[in-house]
Amino acid sequence: MDDSSLFPVTVVGSWPRPPWLIQALRKRQAGESSFKEFNTVADDAVLASVKQQEDAGVDIVSDGEQRRDNFYSFVVEKLDGIKLMTVAQLLDFVKDRASFEESLRALDVPAFAMKSPVAIGQVHARDSLALDELKFLKEHTDRQTKIPLPGPYMLTRSSWFPGLSDKAYPEIEDLGREVSGILRREVLALKDAGADFVQFDEPVLSQVVYGAEGAETFMCAALASRKDPTQELSYALELMNRTVQGISGIKLGVHVCRGNWSRREDVLLKGNYGPLLPYLTEMKVDQLVLEFATPRAGELEVFKEYGDEKEIGLGVVNPRSSEVESSDLIEKRVIDATKLFDPSKIYLNPDCGFGTFAERPVNDATTASAKLRSISTAAKRLRQGIPIAA
Amino acid sequence: MQEVQGKLLNGLEASKLDQFVQDLKTKPDVAKAVNGPWRSRVEWQGGLKAKGYMRNHVASFDEPEGLGATDSAASAHEHILSAVGACMMTGFIFQATRKGIKIHNCEIALEGTFGNILNWAGLSDEDTPGYPEIKAKMYVKADATPETLEKIWNEAWKRSVVTQTVAREVKVTPSFEAL
Repeated sequence: MDDSSLFPVTVVGSWPRPPWLIQALRKRQAGESSFKEFNTVADDAVLASVKQQEDAGVDIVSDGEQRRDNFYSFVVEKLDGIKLMTVAQLLDFVKDRASFEESLRALDVPAFAMKSPVAIGQVHARDSLALDELKFLKEHTDRQTKIPLPGPYMLTRSSWFPGLSDKAYPEIEDLGREVSGILRREVLALKDAGADFVQFDEPVLSQVVYGAEGAETFMCAALASRKDPTQELSYALELMNRTVQGISGIKLGVHVCRGNWSRREDVLLKGNYGPLLPYLTEMKVDQLVLEFATPRAGELEVFKEYGDEKEIGLGVVNPRSSEVESSDLIEKRVIDATKLFDPSKIYLNPDCGFGTFAERPVNDATTASAKLRSISTAAKRLRQGIPIAA
Repeated sequence: MQEVQGKLLNGLEASKLDQFVQDLKTKPDVAKAVNGPWRSRVEWQGGLKAKGYMRNHVASFDEPEGLGATDSAASAHEHILSAVGACMMTGFIFQATRKGIKIHNCEIALEGTFGNILNWAGLSDEDTPGYPEIKAKMYVKADATPETLEKIWNEAWKRSVVTQTVAREVKVTPSFEAL
């Protein structure tokens, strides 16, 4: 077969920030510059990120999340009633500080480096979350565009913090209704503005299933107050479907991984998708953007009983390693995946972003580019007739 | 790095820090006063609770519930960890500020494990009931090179009053009076 539309290459979202962007971000966070001033600097970083993606052969590009501190905390620039707080600041409000300490020890990170948006009042959209990102991106690329957004469960869970949020939102469900409304309006606005793909990031779902009690990973500082996994996953499903119900004309995806804050494999979560699939497959989205490139993601076979109704964003490279996967290895991974998934529904991407947290990127831009090039080389060869398993 | 005179840097006036160091150097009475003695008075609060009164300040102490206590405050040995860290941080911030370095965030994670808790309980004479080692890791985000910051850090812990108190064998002079 020779079909150029097969195996589109894309990214999960983030790209390592250059040092001058980090400096500008620090000034912004210290209140020494305006968001507009910061964005002027970030424009150049976005252009560089897009060029590197294009040069590497990426078909659906993002803006590298260069304007964001991380994939969910950036909302504080766009929403009223939400404040970015560090775990160090939250320590005064945490009931079980000892479990937070355990997590910080396990992750070997300072509390001041972990930030979470926290609802401290009624949450209102002051501005669109990502419309500015999309408009700039579309002005500077002719490729298809992907806009990552924090998933409704992630944003709700991370933002509702007992002692800080409950005056405006007595229960987390109250905030969840607000958040899903904001995200729904955002998706509709992005669709009208011509976005091709909106990806909801819900990495915290793996924490719900595989994170040990007392060993939170601060993907979501408020997760300490979670209920049992089944309830949490049901709630995540409910929030997602409330957010996207009835929306068409734009590709919607949900991204789940097992953490992307460290290059140490032993501190990241592990476990197959089995417990998550009953919920992920019921989400009214087109694509599941999943990691598969490390053994921590478990065996593919758990997908067997769920068919191939949804597209798969197949994670084929580890964004956290220095070694660049060969295109041969990537081809093999794709061919293995075609045993379970319809080839026409497979997209190729890294397991996660290359710079999820601005100050703690998991790779450098040179390696990230090389990994993307390897993916696109594999994609080209696969399109030109590598036998696809039946 | 920037020299900042008369303006607040890291919440401190760098010029005042310089003046303080100058006074220590040139005024023996200042150095003598700062040397001490420093004092604490510890009052029993019932159970295993205690309060330490230091000048016009107070710190609470308790023990975990496993000891039959109420865990209303940190243990005395945990206060030692915090005291070591806080003292290291004082030195670090002091010296960095004098050098005009802006500190964005600073955090020290400390950890110690008892040599032998059986010794404390009177069940053994082996090893030590105390911490044979205290690990302290500083995380800092500042406007200086990692090399510069590490140099200041090394000076800070090597010259830390509390660190050098617990790192050396301190002569503790216990005395007793029953009323």
